[in-house]
Amino acid sequence: MTLPATRQSVAIELDSVVKRYGDHTVLDNVSLSVREGEVVAIIGPSGAGKSTLLRCINLLERPDSGRITVAGHAVDAGSEISNKELVAHRRVAGMVFQSFNLFPHLDVLRNISLAQERVLGRSRKDADKRSKELLDRVGLADKAAQYPSRCSGGQQQRIAIARALALEPKVMLFDEPTSALDPELGLEVLAVMRELADEGMTMVVVTHEMQFARDVSDHLVVMVDGAVLEEGPPEEIFSKPGHERTRRFLRAVLER
Amino acid sequence: MGYLQAIITGIPMTLLVTVAGFTLGAIGGIPLALARRSRFAVLRIVARTVIEFLRGIPPIVWIFLIYFGIGTGAITISPLGAAIAAFGVISCAYMAEIYRGGLSAIPAGQWEASAALGMGHRDQLSKVVGPQVLRVSIPASATYAIGLLKDSSIAYTVGVQEILFNADMQAKQASDAIVPFLYAALVYVIITIPCAWAARSLDSGLRRKVAR
Amino acid sequence: MSLSDWAENYPALLSGLWVSIRVTALALGIGMPLGLLLALSANSPKKVLRYVTIGVVEIGRGTPALVVLQIVYFGLPTVDVTFSSFFSAAIALALTTAAYTSEILRGGLQAVPSGEVEAASALGMVNRDTLRFIVIPQGVRVAIPPLMGFAVLIFQASSLAYTIALPELMSQAYSTGSSTFRYMSILGLAGLMYAAITIPASWLTGRAERRMARHL
Repeated sequence: MTLPATRQSVAIELDSVVKRYGDHTVLDNVSLSVREGEVVAIIGPSGAGKSTLLRCINLLERPDSGRITVAGHAVDAGSEISNKELVAHRRVAGMVFQSFNLFPHLDVLRNISLAQERVLGRSRKDADKRSKELLDRVGLADKAAQYPSRCSGGQQQRIAIARALALEPKVMLFDEPTSALDPELGLEVLAVMRELADEGMTMVVVTHEMQFARDVSDHLVVMVDGAVLEEGPPEEIFSKPGHERTRRFLRAVLER
Repeated sequence: MGYLQAIITGIPMTLLVTVAGFTLGAIGGIPLALARRSRFAVLRIVARTVIEFLRGIPPIVWIFLIYFGIGTGAITISPLGAAIAAFGVISCAYMAEIYRGGLSAIPAGQWEASAALGMGHRDQLSKVVGPQVLRVSIPASATYAIGLLKDSSIAYTVGVQEILFNADMQAKQASDAIVPFLYAALVYVIITIPCAWAARSLDSGLRRKVAR
Repeated sequence: MSLSDWAENYPALLSGLWVSIRVTALALGIGMPLGLLLALSANSPKKVLRYVTIGVVEIGRGTPALVVLQIVYFGLPTVDVTFSSFFSAAIALALTTAAYTSEILRGGLQAVPSGEVEAASALGMVNRDTLRFIVIPQGVRVAIPPLMGFAVLIFQASSLAYTIALPELMSQAYSTGSSTFRYMSILGLAGLMYAAITIPASWLTGRAERRMARHL
């Protein structure tokens, strides 16, 4: 048995997570471990439970059983959780949605500043300063005073990334961040994500971008029917899928 | 308990004013709605002006105009007649707008399809589009009718013996004047709430139907 | 109908119009914030609060404004609560406003996409902040055109205060009419004064509606 050369600590740990909607089991006993600085890509056909898994990590959905640990903070499925704990848990896990979900009535700068003020207790001035730095980082410094509706989808998603980063999360969760975008706009989002990965951010990305999954992720998870079908280094799975189901899925998406 | 019995005797009159006013409006609203989208600009402008004034002036002013204004001239007019006439003309305007909304909700394809079948404008309207407009207008009409039932209480100001009139009579003789009015409120709520629920479920039902 | 009637009596009617406007403004000023509170508690996750609120709103909407007015002005004094006719009218119309606008505002609040609420909670914002910064500003904005439409109706409903001897436009017109027997021309002038406010106001409402439709 060989230990990894540098034994990094665990950033996210899912232990036997189950989530049901009525009779329908969306997550069937899923366990997953993400090390600090690791980029994990989750792929699989739609309805496999990928998004639900992501939403469980920051407790937008409460699992029916199992345990979820993010940056050392563990939540058991059945246990009562105070608002304060919930906020603390979500702060460390930044989330980026498929549909951006920017606040349309606030300008771009305010979109990024608001939670810093209300959640981190920063002053407006400090929050705005930090927001500008983040906008610069995603290449949108000139958009600060615009409203989201005046930005392209790709720009909106980059703003959404900046908004999530503003809370200085320990991990970033991406829920199909480019699915709602035209391919070329998707590329600019992927570029920002790639940069983030290079800087050592821990990331979990639900995606249909096989190129991204292959090039950027350290670890690939294939989900089917609410369960992890297989996982491992992306290169290995792409070149030698361990399951017929994975093979079929990969062929379908790559031929598109 | 005598209060409630006295108030209940006003229900038929309330319903009469409401139903008569609504019926006049449901019928009179049709030509007004058609005039509103006529080919002739003059007709359109006249219809629009009529609708704006009917809706823009409070019902109580219309009732008084008809009862005192017209009624003191050569013709005399009963309180009930004045109330029905007032709510009738007001309803024409509101119903015309409801029909107009319904008309714009009918997909252009319906006009095109019926035209492609060789139908004339009149047939398109009376056989294809018109019936659909009436159906689409049902929920909004129901909501309007419920509002009209509540507004019919205004008829009491010229002496129509409906619910509020009777409550007022009781209150004038009572030391506990609030009680008859509360009963009146109760009676209105009991009549309108089930109607409102029915209208709402009708609305969501129809919306589902149209959406698919 | 004669212009001399109008020339002679328009000052009395104008003073009545001013009373109508003031009582409407006060009713809306009290009623709409109350309506927002009702809308929020009708959307509350607490079941009991939600059902009680919905019940209160249904009763408020089911009762004609005129009946509410009679209760406040003639009814409340018998339980030793007495307001002037001005405040009675304002309170009664405010109650009706609260019931109706709560439904309008609830619709507005529900129109705020759930994704934004989710994004706010994913950012760690507490419910109160999400309501205050995300849901209420947008929900109220969506509700502005129907609220404007409702304000026009309440302005018209202020004419009901004629029944409690508030010297607003309708009662000024009626009392002038009954002393001169020129009902037609005086009531006609009153009607035009109402229309002079309500018709432009509904045009504005229509414009606000179209603007809103463009932006959403």
